Amino acid sequence: MTIKVDLGTPLLARNEEMAEEIRYLAAENRLFIVNIMSSPGAGKTTLLEKSLAYLKKDLRTAVIEGDIATTRDADRISAHGVEAVQLNTDGACHLDARMVYRALQKLDLARLDLLLIENIGNLVCPAEFNLGEDLRLVLLSTTEGNDKVVKYPVMFRDAQMLVINKLDLLPYTDFSREELAKDVAGINPALEIFYTSARGGQGVEDWVKRLVGLVRAKYGVS
Amino acid sequence: MHEMGLMAEMVDLLAESAREHQVRRIDKVKLIVGKMTNALPDALLMAFDVYKEQELFSPSAVLEIEEKETIGHCAECGTTFPVRDNALFICPSCQGLRIDITSGRELYIENYEGEEETRYDN
Repeated sequence: MTIKVDLGTPLLARNEEMAEEIRYLAAENRLFIVNIMSSPGAGKTTLLEKSLAYLKKDLRTAVIEGDIATTRDADRISAHGVEAVQLNTDGACHLDARMVYRALQKLDLARLDLLLIENIGNLVCPAEFNLGEDLRLVLLSTTEGNDKVVKYPVMFRDAQMLVINKLDLLPYTDFSREELAKDVAGINPALEIFYTSARGGQGVEDWVKRLVGLVRAKYGVS
Repeated sequence: MHEMGLMAEMVDLLAESAREHQVRRIDKVKLIVGKMTNALPDALLMAFDVYKEQELFSPSAVLEIEEKETIGHCAECGTTFPVRDNALFICPSCQGLRIDITSGRELYIENYEGEEETRYDN
């Protein structure tokens, strides 16, 4: 006999459950989690490297490096004396909550204030996967063009912070700060925008200060 | 890009539910996919063709996808409007920018149909 079963189950139900577990762990350990996303080559790892110099002074920080392959990025972070866990997805285009949960087992969470997760370079898939984070940061470089905000609305709609990187290259691109501001207003008016040249370090301190402020606001001064 | 993974999740969720409801073979699955998810119906259908080779499905099993338009609701003036083709979230009536998305983010299995396990419990 044929039967029909009504489900209503989200396809990402298991990811959401896992993300909930991460949120629970983080709250228990007073740990603030940032999910950092961008297209490949926008400068995520460089921004992290430059940010750690400032962050280290205020917050005990660790990094999860998501990459399809290699441990190069984790090596770059470790060189700054910060604990880094490399996650290789072996081809998968995003990190999911299960992978992050497993990586968390390798860290002493009670001794950390901040966890920065560098997602796979991709403006599409990572947007769908909740990692139990407190903050979603999207990095966009001037060389990619200001139109990316409108082209990838899911990514930019769900973020709270936008860092525009490679500001030093602005004169060589068609990137328009005015157009960007207009598009951001139409996609996500609450999105906070910072401008950096991560390679030279310009602007990095500003976003770090804001981040430290957010962590303090949530958990107080430790 | 991640439609294969989404399909793998769908198959696992269906397998679990089918066990629970003693469904032996699934003939039809109905999926609701919002336009503002990054899941592409064509890619989902292609992925389903790969997964339906499994015993859980009958050889003629079909995946039906119902797409949902992205619908915005203006928090300023209450206007409800479709947000088409990645247009910005700007209220067409009052140009307000505080827009809630009331539809378009859906991504769930609505239902499935299948053959019930034959029971010999007389």
